[in-house]
Amino acid sequence: MKGSAKGTLVLLCVVLLSGSCKRQEPDLIPEEFKLHAMQIEVPEGFPAIEPAEENPLTEEGVALGRLLFYDVRLSGNNRISCASCHDPALAFSDGVALSAIGASGEQLHRHAPALINLAWAKNGLFWDGGASNLESQAFAPLSSPDEMYQNLTELEHELKQVPDYVNRFKQVFQAEIKSVYVVKALAQFERTLVSAKSRYDRYQRKAPGVSFSPEESLGLSLVNLKCRSCHSGELFTDNNYHNNGLDQDFSNTQFEGLYQGRYRISYQLSDLGKYKTPTLRNVLRTAPYMHDGRLSTIEEVLDHYEHGVKTYMTTDPLLNQWDGKPGIPLSSAEKKAIIAFLGTLTEPEFGINQKMNNPFNHFKK
Amino acid sequence: MKKILSAIAVMALLCTACTKNNDPVLNEQPTAAGQLSLTFDAVLGSNDFALNKDFLLSGKTWNFSQLRYWVSNVVLINSKNEEYAVPNAYFLIEENNAAETNSAFLYPANKREEVLLNGIPAGDYKSLKFSVGVPEKYNNNLSLQAGELSQLNGMTNVSWMWATSYIFSSLKGKVTEGPASVKFAVETGLNSNFKTIKLDLPAVLRISSAKTSSILLQADVTKVSEGLDLMSSPVVGAQQASAMSTVAENYASKVFTVKSVK
Repeated sequence: MKGSAKGTLVLLCVVLLSGSCKRQEPDLIPEEFKLHAMQIEVPEGFPAIEPAEENPLTEEGVALGRLLFYDVRLSGNNRISCASCHDPALAFSDGVALSAIGASGEQLHRHAPALINLAWAKNGLFWDGGASNLESQAFAPLSSPDEMYQNLTELEHELKQVPDYVNRFKQVFQAEIKSVYVVKALAQFERTLVSAKSRYDRYQRKAPGVSFSPEESLGLSLVNLKCRSCHSGELFTDNNYHNNGLDQDFSNTQFEGLYQGRYRISYQLSDLGKYKTPTLRNVLRTAPYMHDGRLSTIEEVLDHYEHGVKTYMTTDPLLNQWDGKPGIPLSSAEKKAIIAFLGTLTEPEFGINQKMNNPFNHFKK
Repeated sequence: MKKILSAIAVMALLCTACTKNNDPVLNEQPTAAGQLSLTFDAVLGSNDFALNKDFLLSGKTWNFSQLRYWVSNVVLINSKNEEYAVPNAYFLIEENNAAETNSAFLYPANKREEVLLNGIPAGDYKSLKFSVGVPEKYNNNLSLQAGELSQLNGMTNVSWMWATSYIFSSLKGKVTEGPASVKFAVETGLNSNFKTIKLDLPAVLRISSAKTSSILLQADVTKVSEGLDLMSSPVVGAQQASAMSTVAENYASKVFTVKSVK
């Protein structure tokens, strides 16, 4: 066989191959049923993203997840959505220490975490890491009596009443509506909540016209020196668990060990009082702070690290000074500088941009 | 040329293989395959197990309201020690009262103790293996689907608000001793409590296309909480890690026996 013929054959094979694994011949698929694979762009300096193999991202899946995220049908009383406690205007946090807007009206025991750069959160979700992935995590707020309290059978039934959802689930998952697809779509949307366009990022990338004030520069140096062991890398979190000295008594076993930190998940004594490091990105938009929201301002957080650290066996040794005293020495000028720097990690558009905000608002227009 | 021909053959195979997505999966079982009925008959010692009925056992009166457990990874071992793993084997065994929910969708009462397995290669088998619980891959990701795994039947942790994973087993009811009466709930979960049970069959299990063969197992519920005092500690769950592993170990070593093979 001649070279060119061979080439044609190879080409034919490639065409066949690329076409063979789609559900139908490409030409026959109407535009509205096409699925477009999507990859999250890894911002400069960020670690690579391990793809979620069991739930690959598609543009259509993300769009469906976004609709569901903002849809009050997801709650049993049809009054609250994911966004009720993960408000895009607050970088997907809720601005209160412990929410009480759930179905029961009971106050939660944990502070609603901000949803930022979750595509990299591969070391457990929740403050204690009790969920291994975003998909599983979503079942907890959906079902909890103190949160959305949705019966999953009813959820499927309610969503099936909406023709647009029926079509979208069919398109994205080639299946009828099931709760497992609801959490998969939500997880797809959540993975697209990337924050990497703050002034800090433009400064790092030496964008023209971007500079730091002397105070912000001092703050950056101080953060690098004193905070980056845990708030590490460009994610500004190690996605790990630490006891940062909030408490020193973990004998309260109430609520299935809720006050014992990651110990309730791992059963390792070394995990008593440990909670997940939150990112510092958008941190000035996500007050109050800590797993139970007990510190209302960023100033209080810095005061805690300076003179409030309590010691226990599991308190992170990084919080000790060279002479063994607990706490991170910081003058008030240094604290001010740190706060000035943290302001550069704010991305005002994060949450409220056209790809992340409430899509139902667009329909109303 | 040969290479190209084989390439074409491979392509042709690929094309046919991948375009079948919408067709029912071809049942490519070996020509000689048979059906096996596997029954998990719940008993209380020498009595048959039943819900909502008083049983007097060693001085205490027991009244059960729920017995549920996941059975997964069913494996048959033949006389040559070859293992046949039943695909997609995740089953919920249960005796359950109807349960109210926060919605109009009730969870119906159900009694299910038989599992029908199709496409078992014909042959003689001497042992049976299965696990109680859900394997780690599925336990860690509730959105993966296989067998009967589902979030809709209350056998996931969401009631625990603990680790998002499956509840492997659940036994609930009331126990009364003298004037004292307590409600108990004995649940297991956690990857470390996923237990595999191997049982040698008392007679050869012959699988053939000629008839449905059967294995009758007994699950002795009195053994589930052996070693624990439910009168004093009636709840076994997330917070009682060591009691939970005792229960898981009981399932692994004491609860199941083979009654008969046909």
